[in-house]
Amino acid sequence: MQNARGRVRFLLGSQPTEVELADPNLTLLDYLRTHARLTGTKEGCAEGDCGACTVLIGEVHDQGLRYLPTNACIVLLGMVDNKQVLTVEHLGREKIHPVQQAMADQHGSQCGFCTPGFVMSLAGLQWAASCKNESTPVDRAQIDEYLAGNLCRCTGYGPIVSAAREACSAPLPESWQAHTAVAETTLRAWQNQGQPLCCTSDRGFFAAPRSRADLHTIMSDHPGATLLAGATDIGLWITKWGQRLSAVIYLGQIPELQRLVQNDEKLEIGAGVSLQDASTTLSEISPDLNRLLRRFGSRQVRNQGTVGGNIANGSPIGDLPPVLIALGARLRIASTGGVREIPLDTFFVDYGQQDLAPGEFVESVVIPLDRDLRFRCWKIAKRFDQDISAVLGAFAAKLEGGIVREVRICFGGMAATPKRARQCEAALTGQPLDHETLARARQALATDFDPITDMRASAHYRQRAAGNLLEKYFLAMTTTDLPDLYDEKTWPGLSNQSFANG
Amino acid sequence: MAIVTKRVSDEREAEEQNFNWVGTRAVRPDGVDKVTGRAKFGADLHLPNMLVGKMLRSPHAHARILSIDISSAEKLPGVKAIVTREDFSDLASEFVPAGEMMVNYRDITRNVMAREKVLYEGHALAAVAAVNAIVAREALALIQVDYEVLPHVLDVVEAMKPEAVLIQEDLLTDGADPPADKPSNIAKRVEFGHGDIETGFAKADVIVEREFNTRPVHQGYIEPHACVASVSEDGQAELWCSTQGHYVVRGHCARILGMDVAKLRVTASEIGGGFGGKTVVYLEPVALALSRKACQPVKMVMTREEVFKASGPASGANMRVKIGATRDGRITAGEAILHYQAGAFQGSPVPPGAQCAFAPYDLEHVRAVGFDVLVNRPKVAAYRAPGAPISEYAVESVVDEVAKKLNIDPIEFRLKNASREGTKASHGPKFGPIGLVETLEAAQAHDHYQSPLQPGQGRGVASGYWFNIGGQSSVTLNTSEDGTVALVVGTPDIGGSRASLGMMVAEELGVELDKVRPMIGDTSSLGYNFLTGGSRTTFATGKVAVDAARDLVSQLRERAAKIWDVPVGDILWHNGEALQKNGRGGPTETLSFRDLAESMGKTGGPLVGQASENVQGAAPSFGTHVVDVDVDRETGRVEILRYTVVQDAGKAIHPSYVEGQYQGGAVQGIGWALNEEYIYDSEGRLENAGFLDYRMPVCSDVPMIDTVIVEVPNPAHPYGVKGVGETPIVPPLAAISNAVANALGIRFSELPMSPPRVLAAIAAASSSK
Ligand SMILES: Cc1cc2nc3c(=O)[nH]c(=O)nc-3n(C[C@H](O)[C@H](O)[C@H](O)COP(=O)(O)OP(=O)(O)OC[C@H]3O[C@@H](n4cnc5c(N)ncnc54)[C@H](O)[C@@H]3O)c2cc1C
Ligand code: FES
Ligand code: FES
Repeated sequence: MQNARGRVRFLLGSQPTEVELADPNLTLLDYLRTHARLTGTKEGCAEGDCGACTVLIGEVHDQGLRYLPTNACIVLLGMVDNKQVLTVEHLGREKIHPVQQAMADQHGSQCGFCTPGFVMSLAGLQWAASCKNESTPVDRAQIDEYLAGNLCRCTGYGPIVSAAREACSAPLPESWQAHTAVAETTLRAWQNQGQPLCCTSDRGFFAAPRSRADLHTIMSDHPGATLLAGATDIGLWITKWGQRLSAVIYLGQIPELQRLVQNDEKLEIGAGVSLQDASTTLSEISPDLNRLLRRFGSRQVRNQGTVGGNIANGSPIGDLPPVLIALGARLRIASTGGVREIPLDTFFVDYGQQDLAPGEFVESVVIPLDRDLRFRCWKIAKRFDQDISAVLGAFAAKLEGGIVREVRICFGGMAATPKRARQCEAALTGQPLDHETLARARQALATDFDPITDMRASAHYRQRAAGNLLEKYFLAMTTTDLPDLYDEKTWPGLSNQSFANG
Repeated sequence: MAIVTKRVSDEREAEEQNFNWVGTRAVRPDGVDKVTGRAKFGADLHLPNMLVGKMLRSPHAHARILSIDISSAEKLPGVKAIVTREDFSDLASEFVPAGEMMVNYRDITRNVMAREKVLYEGHALAAVAAVNAIVAREALALIQVDYEVLPHVLDVVEAMKPEAVLIQEDLLTDGADPPADKPSNIAKRVEFGHGDIETGFAKADVIVEREFNTRPVHQGYIEPHACVASVSEDGQAELWCSTQGHYVVRGHCARILGMDVAKLRVTASEIGGGFGGKTVVYLEPVALALSRKACQPVKMVMTREEVFKASGPASGANMRVKIGATRDGRITAGEAILHYQAGAFQGSPVPPGAQCAFAPYDLEHVRAVGFDVLVNRPKVAAYRAPGAPISEYAVESVVDEVAKKLNIDPIEFRLKNASREGTKASHGPKFGPIGLVETLEAAQAHDHYQSPLQPGQGRGVASGYWFNIGGQSSVTLNTSEDGTVALVVGTPDIGGSRASLGMMVAEELGVELDKVRPMIGDTSSLGYNFLTGGSRTTFATGKVAVDAARDLVSQLRERAAKIWDVPVGDILWHNGEALQKNGRGGPTETLSFRDLAESMGKTGGPLVGQASENVQGAAPSFGTHVVDVDVDRETGRVEILRYTVVQDAGKAIHPSYVEGQYQGGAVQGIGWALNEEYIYDSEGRLENAGFLDYRMPVCSDVPMIDTVIVEVPNPAHPYGVKGVGETPIVPPLAAISNAVANALGIRFSELPMSPPRVLAAIAAASSSK
């Protein structure tokens, strides 16, 4: 890559900082704690589950600088190039931040180990709430959403919720605007220099190309390199499974992969679009998708993780693939040779095996927008938040005069890949929506899958839950007013739309 | 949030109205440090030249160690020390207390470093100190261990069978009658009770008997175990660690390493949660051994996976409970047979489990028998009221069923049978002023209990008990020349004890709270202190702090007497000032604490308040919980709609932190009841050793937990304090199970009531109809 920079450059608080990346595997958390000696940010798991390591990442966005709560334990340092990192130490420089004040006043800590992470998540919420230009106070649902990725074992959460309410009714600290303006100027100037990052050391290299052309070049120079998107999977390879990556190409700085294009016929989502950003647009297709993405990991995981990563990892329990397959999505796969487009379900060949050749990467996913499609999806997991699906069912059908004309049903968690229920689809196609059809479809569904028993659920539970979901979908097509799984009575105002900026 | 006070006398009431600090909700002294990231926890210390230590752990659930070869690991550049069983001497069997549980030195030394065998997946068997974590991990991979893999046993019932594989080959059951002559995995049998249960059951109109099973759960503190050890060439050592009791750590480490106790100074870092799990040592002796060998400081921090696999958890159990009652609702007899998993070494909390099982009931005929059983799992550690949540879950479930059979309201039924002052507890002692009846009455009167349920929802009630303990504490109050005070205590602050101790001292001295700065001293700065556990800190250290303050006040009075040249008996201490009893006493005639501090050099030297005591008179705390649930019939998910904790605190020094204990304990109980469990594969390896698959509650899982503080004072404490930290985790398991039974008409006898299990039960119930 031309005129590449060899050192990672970012704002640490308001301090421009450059770091020689001696190891491409260095996480942001390790950098903060062991190199910068900022030990306020805690490590409770190093797997993205507890939120003790939550920091705010400031990045330049359409409307200005935006602040996203992120798990520092599974962010690689190279990923914060040209961004700002705010830790608990940076919040209250002149005067203690309103969130910190509220947490102290409301007795939001007992042992206090989780507190820095909660403070940062709530600072993210307070910032997002203050961008809304409305005076409605944050509600419990928004608080729950922002705190889904933070574990506290001592308090039972009550005092933290009270602190959140108190803090979010306070204005941003006065100094915040001024600091943000300075930071934005610096970050924009850096971005405009257009230099890609390429750090090389004897432990390997970390590159962050800034265009598709650069990406092609560097991929052909390093055919074995790992493509890195949000690191919500890859981070765990390093921290949990002890892998050492020697060549990493970060996709997060390539504008072509960040595009979200929508017209009357289709929605195209770039592989690098974060799950949080995608959720706003996907929610327009169906409220179920809003609900599903609300329950995808946590706020931190969604801010970091990408749509492309959720597809490319080929996981049988990824939440998006079954949904996208049911919606009839196609995948655009690019290489130096050009772009090919395939139906998404053919991408998943077998467990751990995808239709992706060396030198290829996922560029985007294209979802046809068909207003006649009756789409529903449900995720079943032990916990509402921050949980991996035991079973995810996605259903899309077109009806004509009460007859099923076309149907796609896809499940996650039922096979080694996200997989369509072909027998079940066949049993439904051309049939009226009656009891006999349902009975046949349920029977057919049982032959479609041979799920496994693991720690998340037994085969029996999975089969049963899948059958129940089919029945539920059937009901949904015949009635209009159907209670949802985890309905909105219990989980009111899943309103991340109003927080689109955050 | 309400406080219901049952006052003992008018005198106290009059006094109480004058409290400046006790009973208020002041911001704690370490509040700002916690929210700014300044508080230093176990892993936050960096010393110059510090090495990183990592542990090699067994991949097998049970295996004989044939050989450990460290030769190639030692040669790796950057490796500074390696320790194995060779570096630790064997210790004789000897039991010492750790919190409310006992530990055995023969076992501890084997748990920190395996000797003959590895006994569970994750058992430590070698450790490396290297220049950084990467080198340390590479070195671990180079250590060669030859194992002879043995059959393993995880289930408590299996482990008790005569044909079960023996975990400790020479273990004879202690307390067996007749005495055991053949080794088994049953380490101990205990029995408590009085009367004759057969006579009791013969009088019963209804008898309910059920078997229960629970799974091990982890304490789940968010801070992993962490320490930094530094041993100098002459054998003097410093240890910084996250612990509930640094004096206890000092004692254990000195014994394991064969050092003089006074040569080891232990400093307690801020502690990121413990719940009983940080009362024993894991990394500390190993880090010291590595540092001794390398002559450099060594830091060791567990990963979350290590925390799950090699620390904690609480016992899983198999239990049988039988209760009989007369038609008019009087319990005639109760029996509990408890089998608790101890993990790989003996010492499950089955004795306290058996003692607590029937504590809420005044019974004529009662018997609780407990068995402590070895299995190939990590050695259990204390977890909040160790043993009690499990046994009381079983008892309170059966009590609920009996009440239902008799068609008596569950609170009414409990009130008919409740323990009161003077009741002879099933484990022996006569209860003093306890507050069980008051919690039941407050729960019954609470708006929650009175509110209607929607169709399909269920409500459950359960009571719970924990003894609480006293024990040794030392406190020093160092007066500064400007009249401010350093309050030095030796019990780590897990949940706000610095605030409540500071408040009691400020109250006694009559000074502003911010003039008292509470802190935790290291092991060389104070006399001995037992650990923070057994809900003892606000009670025992609190009593000693009050006595230290009174000691200081008497010195202050003496100094004033000296200045005024009057007998000390004429001096009163009131609101932070000395005044004279008779006569003079105009506004100019007072001496403030500050005046006396400023002049202390001239009046007799430093003013230091001190007290060191072995505090007796700990009073038990009873609680009653009410919970409403909804069950999703399609997914099996149980949702907690409303939750109210009513508990006796004796006296809430800082009500917010008392409520915090109630709420936190209830939420841990919710996790235990609904989702938390250890899941093992067929090889005996833990499958869900991470927070993503070990389901602790997050914010959206729980409603705001409502609390009622009942105050029935403890006469043994100057302000009436009883411990409150542990009881809140006792009632939730049964309360929730009772609520689910109420909602579904299905009685669960297995925890957790996770969605798959609930769905299966619903299916089974509907197919059997
Ligand atoms: C706490 C936690 C909770 C989670 N919860 C959920 C959940 O609820 N539902 C769920 O589905 N998942 C969940 N996940 C998994 C994970 O967040 C998702 O799979 C996420 O979408 C991965 O995206 P990423 O951008 O982080 O991928 P990365 O980790 O960066 O990469 C994942 C894989 O995809 C490859 N890759 C990424 N982008 C491309 C591309 N454009 N072309 C080719 N290959 C590419 C990478 O090389 C790698 O193999 C969770 C993870 C964590 C840590
Ligand atoms: S340390 Fe737990 S999420 Fe990062
Ligand atoms: S205060 Fe201890 S984990 Fe939250």
